[in-house]
Amino acid sequence: MTTLFINDEEVTVSAGTSILEACREHGADVPYFCYHPELSVAANCRMCLVEVEGWNKPAASCCTPVGEGMKVTTHSESLAKDREMMMEYLLINHPLDCPVCDQGGSCKLQDYTVEHGAKHGRYSEVKRAVVDHDLGPFVSTCMTRCIHCTRCVRFADEVAGTGDMGVLNRADHMRIEGIVEDALESELSGNLADVCPVGALLDKPSHDVARPWEMTRHKSTCTQCPQGCDIVIESRGDKVIRIKPDKDGVEPWICDRGRYVHDAFRADQRIVAPAVREKSGLVNVSWDEAIQASVDVLKDKRVGIIFSPDWSVEGLASIRLLHDSVFKDAKVAFDLHRRDMREFAFEEGFSMSSAQIVAADQVVILGSDLRQRLPILMQGLRKRGNEGKPVTRIGAMNYRTNSDLSADALIRPREWVAVIARAMQQLKDLGKTAAGMDAWLEKVEERHEAGKLLADALLADSCALLVGEEIRSHSDASALIHGLDLMMRASGHAEAGADGRNLIPEGMNAQLLSAVFGDIRVSAGDLLDAASDGELDALVLIGSDPMGDGLFSMQAKRAMGKVPLVQIGAIAGQTSEFANVMLPAAAYSEVEGTFINMEGRIRMAEHPLRSLGEERPLWKVMMRLVQAFGEEIPVVNLTELRARIESFLPEVSGVWDDDVTDDECLLVARNRDANSMPNAIEPAMSLDVVSRYSMYREGMWVRASSYLVEAGDIHALDDLLVHPNTLKDAGLSAGECKVRTTSGDYDYHIGVREDVAEGVLFISKRGVAGDLSCEVMASLEGGQ
Amino acid sequence: MSEVEQVHFTEQRLAEIDALVKKYPSARSALLPVLHMAQEDFGYLPMHVQQLVADTLGLRLMIVREVVTFYTMFREHETGKYRLEVCTNAGCMLNGADELVQHITKSLGINVGETTSDGMFTVTEVECAGACAGAPVVQINNEYHEKVDASYMDAFITKVSSSEEGGQV
Repeated sequence: MTTLFINDEEVTVSAGTSILEACREHGADVPYFCYHPELSVAANCRMCLVEVEGWNKPAASCCTPVGEGMKVTTHSESLAKDREMMMEYLLINHPLDCPVCDQGGSCKLQDYTVEHGAKHGRYSEVKRAVVDHDLGPFVSTCMTRCIHCTRCVRFADEVAGTGDMGVLNRADHMRIEGIVEDALESELSGNLADVCPVGALLDKPSHDVARPWEMTRHKSTCTQCPQGCDIVIESRGDKVIRIKPDKDGVEPWICDRGRYVHDAFRADQRIVAPAVREKSGLVNVSWDEAIQASVDVLKDKRVGIIFSPDWSVEGLASIRLLHDSVFKDAKVAFDLHRRDMREFAFEEGFSMSSAQIVAADQVVILGSDLRQRLPILMQGLRKRGNEGKPVTRIGAMNYRTNSDLSADALIRPREWVAVIARAMQQLKDLGKTAAGMDAWLEKVEERHEAGKLLADALLADSCALLVGEEIRSHSDASALIHGLDLMMRASGHAEAGADGRNLIPEGMNAQLLSAVFGDIRVSAGDLLDAASDGELDALVLIGSDPMGDGLFSMQAKRAMGKVPLVQIGAIAGQTSEFANVMLPAAAYSEVEGTFINMEGRIRMAEHPLRSLGEERPLWKVMMRLVQAFGEEIPVVNLTELRARIESFLPEVSGVWDDDVTDDECLLVARNRDANSMPNAIEPAMSLDVVSRYSMYREGMWVRASSYLVEAGDIHALDDLLVHPNTLKDAGLSAGECKVRTTSGDYDYHIGVREDVAEGVLFISKRGVAGDLSCEVMASLEGGQ
Repeated sequence: MSEVEQVHFTEQRLAEIDALVKKYPSARSALLPVLHMAQEDFGYLPMHVQQLVADTLGLRLMIVREVVTFYTMFREHETGKYRLEVCTNAGCMLNGADELVQHITKSLGINVGETTSDGMFTVTEVECAGACAGAPVVQINNEYHEKVDASYMDAFITKVSSSEEGGQV
């Protein structure tokens, strides 16, 4: 620790802190442009000058470390003069067009000009103008306003990992430029507008729409991925203008998916009034009529319910209450990516916090496109990679990560057992074992060398496994996860408190879902098949779109129209075509509710936006239905509902009692008696099907956002991809081919990419071939 | 990306670069000398050559672009046979560099940064050549010509233009 004096006040900070950081920590105001707490120090704006006693000239505080006994002055006459000169210099080429600039009102340059600048400009020569460029659908530019702080360049380099922004030329010709002309390569590009201290990089979708001072800010939780980032929704009146990361939140950044989904809040696809299908189509009716119509459709019927995991905790619990009151025998599904419904040795959710994962000795990504699945966690791993800490990945596709992986192995899904067996063997040979490990190992004959990477990582003091969709969707997932669990126990991580078992969940609230629905959940594919086969009489979809999301779109398309459908939710989507009744439920921005993220972190949204139309919070819709069926209403207000939730999941008790939110995380459920063994089934077909998760396509909300749809169309991949050797082995060439599956033959265009593991048919889910996602295996033959 | 010609360093060059990189703590430090080598080999540094340098040193293209655009001695476009690089920094400016540039461009009928239609001359302004004692300085194909005036340049241009082989400079 170092003790110094800031404006005669004695403060103590950790050694190596910069003077600027010490000032920020202790509330001394020092102006700055180029410094950013999350980025490296550039020290090029010279705005943060302070005086240090005994030094003959002012010091740039951002790059000067504190010294013992240092006497720092942040305000003096001489500094005021220095800052005035710096401002004059920065403003020489600035257009001073604040009245038409979006940044006006939240602009550092504007604020500091008022605070530190001269009263009059003296510069009367010609100002330069800089050409703008196209940085894609999310960032608009006005480069003449740029003051060359290079925050965006460092962001692209260090945070996004793309390095596609740079400083070209020098002196008066200096300009910031992107290397690509059409779009930035990053899934975090929306943060550029936040990083820019002036109006050079702006948020394109909200460009020329609203002023900072017109907007109200609503703290909320993003439900677009299991990360559940803390967000601030900025709205003018009831209209959402933009979404930003919460400055007081856990993570400083949010991804483009969570940020630009706001377009969907006001999209035409929102369900804003109850509706009932008549001959002419869906007709808006009153709530009473719509509820009665739902009862008519569902009363005394065999019902299947598919819901989204992204509703608030209250909404999800109320679905269970509806089930228990009215549809006791109904089949219920919420996971559109899980085939194997046997118990998992560790349930979905993370047993480590993101910070613990980033700090772990070893991180292994198992079968996940983490950059798209959990962009913010991937950003943490990228930071880790920059520090030279290892990140290992094993999976079917060489997904772009924009960071350096220390080890990377391409395997096909059927090889997972051999990979795990190889790792297990290595642990066993080193004398590390756990009860049941030998039995598991005996079931598998093959060994795959990629397992060495896994075993080596497990031998470190702390190791975080990030178990991704390729394993979770595996038809033998339970056995694979059991194998991983055994190894975690064998290597001593499970008991040492550094539990690295992290199973990336389907969506939000995973810990609640496994506690509340663990006993009644079925596979969404089976449920839809049951509807097609006449084993169900009606379907209820609650914010879920199995036609567009997940693995079972083919089953969903078959089932739709076969049985009556009651759709409850905020977004209509493509299932609305088949809906007999539609009931509007409020969006996540419009409810007072609780959310649990993958780490088990609990967040409450307390200041919701007003609903657009007649939407009601989901739990009220559920209770209304219970009432309409003539049953006793289990809960009548949020307090009662929350008391019920506490009985489902005792760990949450107390979170609603006081105002203080502590950051303690819920633990992930473990099934200690889970003992699935790998199946030794000879694969029937030559190729394994792997279906991509795309952050720009997956999710009803995302597909209703025109911005995200546009972004998804950039950097297109072919719909179906295979490794060139796979085609060569089959004696085929890229182009039209016949894809043979257990459910039939299809003609598709096949593209080639070396990033795909050999023997994998990769579905990039861009087009018609998405329906093949339900297949586990396939083979290729020549086209017509 | 549009069709670009594939370029490669020669084996010998790659060995040189390899030896060079070893002298520095990181490959990035070797960027300046390698860019000079690339310019020597390929004449100038268009995008695909910059990409080659980036790939060879394992750097991001943007880092190479930043360096190439910063220094006036790196050229991104094809130039004439004779590059007339006039220093216009303080010392030379005070000794008539601006007038010299005006004279040269006028007599060749081109603007600064342009090449004559016969592909003989390119005129550029450069930053301090470090030879202020001889101001104004014109660097012609890596050779310094000091205390240059309008008549010197006229004579040079005439000599070079009239000589069939392009003359000795």
